[in-house]
Amino acid sequence: MTGLVILLGVAALNAMVWGSVSIEWRKVLAILIEAMPLGVAFENLDIQAVHRDILLQIRLPRVFLAAAVGSSLAVAGAVFQGLFRNPMADPYVIGISSGAALGAVFAMLSGFSLAVGGFGAVPLFAFAGGITTIMVVYSMARVGRAVPVMTLLLAGIAVSAFLSALVSLLTYFAGEKLHMVVFWMMGGLGGATWHQVRVMVPYALVGFICVSIYSRELNAMLLGEETASNLGVNTERVKKILLAGSSLLVAAAVSTSGIIGFVGLVVPHFIRLVAGPDHRFLMPAAALLGGALLIATDTLARVVIAPSELPVGIITALIGAPMFVYLLKKRKKLRYFGGGG
Amino acid sequence: MGINIQVHGLKLAYDAQPILEDTTFNVDRGDLVALLGANGAGKSTLLRCVSRILKPSAGSILLDGEELHHFDSKEAARKMAVVPQETTADFDFTVEDIVMMGRFPYLNRFKKEDQKDHEIVRRSMEMTGVSHLAERSIASLSGGEKQRVIMARAICQQPEVLLLDEPTANLDIGYQSMLLELAARLNREQEVTVIAAIHDINLAVHHFNRFILLSGGRVMAAGRAEEVITPENIKKSYGVPATTYRHPLHGVLQISVARGRSPDENHNSGPAVHVLGGGEEALPALESLNQFGCRLSVGPVSAQDSGCRFAHFHSLPVVIVPPFTSMNGTHKEEHLQLLRDADLVVVPPIPFGEGNLAVFEEVETALDEGKPVYIIDLEGVERRDYSGKARALLENLVQKGAKVLQATDDLQAVICPGKGEKNE
Repeated sequence: MTGLVILLGVAALNAMVWGSVSIEWRKVLAILIEAMPLGVAFENLDIQAVHRDILLQIRLPRVFLAAAVGSSLAVAGAVFQGLFRNPMADPYVIGISSGAALGAVFAMLSGFSLAVGGFGAVPLFAFAGGITTIMVVYSMARVGRAVPVMTLLLAGIAVSAFLSALVSLLTYFAGEKLHMVVFWMMGGLGGATWHQVRVMVPYALVGFICVSIYSRELNAMLLGEETASNLGVNTERVKKILLAGSSLLVAAAVSTSGIIGFVGLVVPHFIRLVAGPDHRFLMPAAALLGGALLIATDTLARVVIAPSELPVGIITALIGAPMFVYLLKKRKKLRYFGGGG
Repeated sequence: MGINIQVHGLKLAYDAQPILEDTTFNVDRGDLVALLGANGAGKSTLLRCVSRILKPSAGSILLDGEELHHFDSKEAARKMAVVPQETTADFDFTVEDIVMMGRFPYLNRFKKEDQKDHEIVRRSMEMTGVSHLAERSIASLSGGEKQRVIMARAICQQPEVLLLDEPTANLDIGYQSMLLELAARLNREQEVTVIAAIHDINLAVHHFNRFILLSGGRVMAAGRAEEVITPENIKKSYGVPATTYRHPLHGVLQISVARGRSPDENHNSGPAVHVLGGGEEALPALESLNQFGCRLSVGPVSAQDSGCRFAHFHSLPVVIVPPFTSMNGTHKEEHLQLLRDADLVVVPPIPFGEGNLAVFEEVETALDEGKPVYIIDLEGVERRDYSGKARALLENLVQKGAKVLQATDDLQAVICPGKGEKNE
């Protein structure tokens, strides 16, 4: 865990050092410490004002946002995989991303110039689309008072496919806005602002606290719902809370940064392979690793073809997939998940 | 004592197919109950109603006089633990992690497991003999080990009621009795009420003292083994003919399902055969002659003897002599009649003593009248002769024309010669 905190710190520091304008790491630290209300000043370092602006107004919020999005996705992925007891599950599996994409694409194409609380139409519609989708899926899967997870998963996949088709249809008629739509769907953290951070972080925190205080229940749910219920877990309530919490995480992440793949699928597996399936460790560890991974890949996305940048989703998959395969081969099997121990 | 679990008028249906219909019974505190019944009789469904997984559409389940669904989840899990038939455990939790999950209903959301919880986990693992597996991954264990881990977890819940749903279905005979003995020990030492759905009736009789027989979702019988496990009840609920008997070693009531004959083939088409005497030693001969389709008669046997039970079970003519008495004139008359009615007579390898040597008189008469007589295993007669006179008497019969067979298996060649050759 300490290692992961250090990793996150290093990733963040790197992210602030690298870029089209390189800032020395000592200066980065100095600027950060000066920015804190401690009254400390490093006059001997000769810090340029433009560096300070780049760091505090552009890179720092972007780092925060990447951390928040990355950990939200990783934690949501862990929750979905545990809840569905399915290693293929990712944060988007039950259609939140498709709903969000539909909302976003609709907003882009209709050209609404709506703005609420400093946000444009795209994130607002994306957020609303994601949340609406999960509510529709949940009510579709409900049988009496219970929501069987398999039904939920299948309903989610069906709804997701339907919404994706609608998104494709809209994209087909996107015309000159096609580039904007495709770019959004690949995901990216470009143009991050403190305002976005201020809105995103509370959502992420609420979602994270919500799901992590139910880690012990989620552990029991891994043994099957019936067993969990026999152990005293109120399975229906736990499912509802976990779904609500993780949907909040995903919807917030998607609406700020588009659909960034891979982080939510692979980070939880990564932690499980190394440290086992106990969610009390898995959740915070996935949050830290997810944050670190997205900060690091986002840094790469900024620098590889600087001054322009790649969609971060491309980098996460390009780097994450080989690393994951390496770990898989090393461990031989995913025994924690029906790998046939 | 007092009633612990009160089930009244339960109704439950899957897709309009009724599983439980007006299921009603009581279980007293500290009872050790085996739930019996054929596949589909509703055993598992009933247990899942009691463990609150399923909600019956009508009826009530009271736990200590209080409606089951009034308890919240954790409260219920402190009172009741469940050991399922099988646990799918294909993830890397250690055995200790799994057992610790039994403490879940006692843990506050923000509290870590304390010394006391660890102590309880340690003791439960010791009790079920899995302490040495503590650090192993649950996925790497055998079925028997896994089931004991699940048992340890259930013990960790410190329940008042332990429900087991066919817990031994996938275990070998060693683990089967070990697991049920554990349940019985919890019952004895901690007064835990145990209800277990069990397929193997003979296993159940060894470990349990109360029985509930379900049939078509209703309680057909409840009570002691003798009241519940009767041939009539078994026939009605499982649809097979069965006999009960006392285990020869410990006298526990046991049940045996009769081997069915195919109804079309050689049913009663064989010759009429009289089998001399009874006892376990005569049973192989009786059973195989029965399989060959012979019309059998048996005797003389003493009441309660296995040959006598065989005769009653198959409704065969039999000469019964009260235990500890010798044959009187009437018995001898009856016996001679059976010998005369038969096409042939078989003398199975039964023990001889002063009490039953008299039977040879009638056999001799029958032999004189031209009845074929077959003596099985004349060679080995000394080993089971307690009078010292049997060999002489049997050899006398051979003198008069009785034939000797090496073993019971040779009967087949006598009764149906064609088949015997084919088999060899």
